Amino acid sequence: MFSDKIELKDFEKMDPEYQDLLKRVLAIQADCEIGGPHLYVENILPTAPTKLDQLIVARTAAEEIDHYRKIARLAGEIGADVSYVLSRPNQERYVDAFRGEITSWEHFAVFGFLIDRIGRYQLEEFIGCSYVPLERILPDVMREEAGHIDFGTTKTAELAAKGGESKAKVQKALDYWYVKALDMFGRSDSYRSERYRHWGLKRRTNAQAREQYIKEVNPLIEQMGLQVPDPDKGRHYS
Amino acid sequence: MPQAPDTEAMDEHLKDVVQALHGAVNWAMPHLNDPKIVDKAIQDCKEILDVVIEGKVSEWLK
Repeated sequence: MFSDKIELKDFEKMDPEYQDLLKRVLAIQADCEIGGPHLYVENILPTAPTKLDQLIVARTAAEEIDHYRKIARLAGEIGADVSYVLSRPNQERYVDAFRGEITSWEHFAVFGFLIDRIGRYQLEEFIGCSYVPLERILPDVMREEAGHIDFGTTKTAELAAKGGESKAKVQKALDYWYVKALDMFGRSDSYRSERYRHWGLKRRTNAQAREQYIKEVNPLIEQMGLQVPDPDKGRHYS
Repeated sequence: MPQAPDTEAMDEHLKDVVQALHGAVNWAMPHLNDPKIVDKAIQDCKEILDVVIEGKVSEWLK
């Protein structure tokens, strides 16, 4: 297992596999950061339930754009132009969860609850990673992601607590996003995931991270009085 | 290692975008009971975000 710490000045000396993997993981991270606003700004900014909610949607989008900026800068410094993800159609995003659009407040809430939480898991992979410039940007980005997760979790719980039609709608949104969330960890037997770990660019296997996520979110779902969706229904990866 | 083209320019542009969005939100937050201020801030955010979502990157750095 590779345990050196790499600065920008060292990057060119690194094995081509390391260079390719770092460029790839930064491109995917950039795509996921900007993919959020592309999912929800058009429909949710004008229709969020209150003015405060509208402002929070705008602030969330601003923070995600800033996360994109920070990742894109790191990628640019090592010669990788990731600006193509700013203009690509949602259907072409790297990760399936970002390929549609969010058209309801329930979906926006659950997206924050479940998918932004995956974002936190992805970022946690880089804590202590071999590429030091990447680790340096983590504290601010993770703090803001935690805010998105808290907001989504609170709103999901509030919608569930209302019962009736509100609870049914949020359960439906949960059913939709839960399997997409589990798929976001990738294949349990992913060769590339092993290479990321070999080079110190990730810490956990896909299966370990997915298992930890399930242990974290399932009790939260149950506390909200919602049903944990079938983890296998509609899954692409296991 | 040569930087990718426009790395600095894009970084500066997006910093300005983010700062403008935060500025509008932070200006409106203490005035939630004043629809005129809040609606203007939301409209400003929408206009800025529409440009980002449209994604005509080549036009941003002209």
